[in-house]
Amino acid sequence: MNDVGVEVVLTSGRTLKQGQTMELGKLNQKYFEAVAICEVDKSTLEALGLEEGEPVKVKTATGSVVVACKLDRRAEPGIAFMPCGPWANAVLDSDTIESGMPRFKDMDAKLIAAKGEKVPSAEDLLKAIVEVP
Amino acid sequence: MTEVFEDQVCPFCGCLCDDIRLEVENGKVVKNDNGCAISKAKFLNHHDDRIESPTVKKSAVSLDDAIDKAVEILASAKRPLIYGLSSTENDAHREAYKIAETLGGVVDNTSSVCHGPTILGVQESGEAAGSLAEVKNRADTIIYWGSNPQFAHPRHLSRYVRVQGEYIKDAKADRKIWVFDIRKTISANVADEFVKLAPGGDLELIGALRAIVRGHPLDVEEAGGVSIEKITEIAEALKGTKYGILFFGLGLTQSKGRHRNIDAAIRLVQDLNAYTKWNMMPMRGHFNVAGANKTSTWQTGYPFAVDYAKGYPRYQPGEYTAVDMLVNKEADVMLNIAADPAAHFPRAAIRHMSTIPVINIDPKRNMTSLLAEVNIPVALSGIECDGSAVRMDGLPLYLRKVVDPPDGVLPDRDVLKMIHTKLRKVVK
Repeated sequence: MNDVGVEVVLTSGRTLKQGQTMELGKLNQKYFEAVAICEVDKSTLEALGLEEGEPVKVKTATGSVVVACKLDRRAEPGIAFMPCGPWANAVLDSDTIESGMPRFKDMDAKLIAAKGEKVPSAEDLLKAIVEVP
Repeated sequence: MTEVFEDQVCPFCGCLCDDIRLEVENGKVVKNDNGCAISKAKFLNHHDDRIESPTVKKSAVSLDDAIDKAVEILASAKRPLIYGLSSTENDAHREAYKIAETLGGVVDNTSSVCHGPTILGVQESGEAAGSLAEVKNRADTIIYWGSNPQFAHPRHLSRYVRVQGEYIKDAKADRKIWVFDIRKTISANVADEFVKLAPGGDLELIGALRAIVRGHPLDVEEAGGVSIEKITEIAEALKGTKYGILFFGLGLTQSKGRHRNIDAAIRLVQDLNAYTKWNMMPMRGHFNVAGANKTSTWQTGYPFAVDYAKGYPRYQPGEYTAVDMLVNKEADVMLNIAADPAAHFPRAAIRHMSTIPVINIDPKRNMTSLLAEVNIPVALSGIECDGSAVRMDGLPLYLRKVVDPPDGVLPDRDVLKMIHTKLRKVVK
């Protein structure tokens, strides 16, 4: 499988749309559209050969998840952002270094163009996570 | 007929804005004045996407049957985990602690994945505390570190910072806002100064700031991704302020240094207090996560990660915290209240949740409700039932009920009380 991609530091956090759509329902299409995304700068999009909205695979040592890529005009190369939620947490390391807190904010990740791949719904993502042996 | 509620408290984030004007028609909130975009979404969609009925293994059952099943599961548990609590009111918390004590279980709240490290830092170095009113009336230097209030606390700036105060006559000219972050957020755009630090560089930068504030020269060119020249300029600005406030978010608690970042930030504030007045405050996320820490401390002696296995409360973050309890495959039953761990925990924790019975008490459908063996719908605190909650600065505020919950749906506190009453009869 083609594993060529762009290495980034992946961070996560709240966005206004994530907060708004969460209140509409976490299994809602609008929440899916607001949260199953990865924001990057223009040069990263170009390097991946992707247009905004196309699928990108976010891969860490813990696992990978396919989400829609989104252009953040304020962003700089080297840092990618995902709204907090099921898709960002699917690649999150569970080690809390005995603090109780996983490292949500600065994960080493690789972004890989994933044209043709489907962004999983919350239900499908959950199924994929729990069905792994 | 339209019913109007003035000065309603918004139960979304830790700001607990208490100036919301609501209009209610036919049992639904139809208008929200003064609220932010998220507040409007919460109030105007309170009736959407609800858990429609109590369920056991996805089949609809009566409330009594769901409670009986929950009691049966909890009574047979060897290592139950009770978790959540940050999106419900204080009286519900009390019942959760009673259940934990009766079962000899572990009770943790969502602060273990938000400001838990803040509490660990405070336990190490002391708490700098003050009110948001002090900030509004006195603060001339405001720092947001690892925090994006324009998205996470949308009215924080307009209510406490970009507003006139007793000693701040011109909110723009008399206050200076700094944003410290690893990326240029929307909040950085509205700040007077943006300091971009290296990912994971917080502890190093705070350490360098402390050294320079204390007058120790550093023989390096940069620290935490910021030049020593810039750090020196920042240190002088912080020392030269009249009243400074360091607001900090999950960028500081969830990154590489965790509680060590907070420990260092508290020490920086202590150092700055040798020169002028400085304070700091965590930007609490869920509307009553601060309350969960308060009530847990009142009732158990500890703010989160509490274990009753020995019959008395013990405290050990990293062991009795929910993520660790699940990832270590220690919990054999989970009672989740007013949180969505299946959406916000790492996959190893979710995978273990899928192998144990989960009892989920929440108003709305979510990832956890999909996994749960028992789902019990409840009223939305601060909309469909009253109660009290604690603002990010520690101020308790009363949440009012403005509409009735759906038929047969009770507040968290009543459901938990019913569970506890039945549990006491079956647990020796």
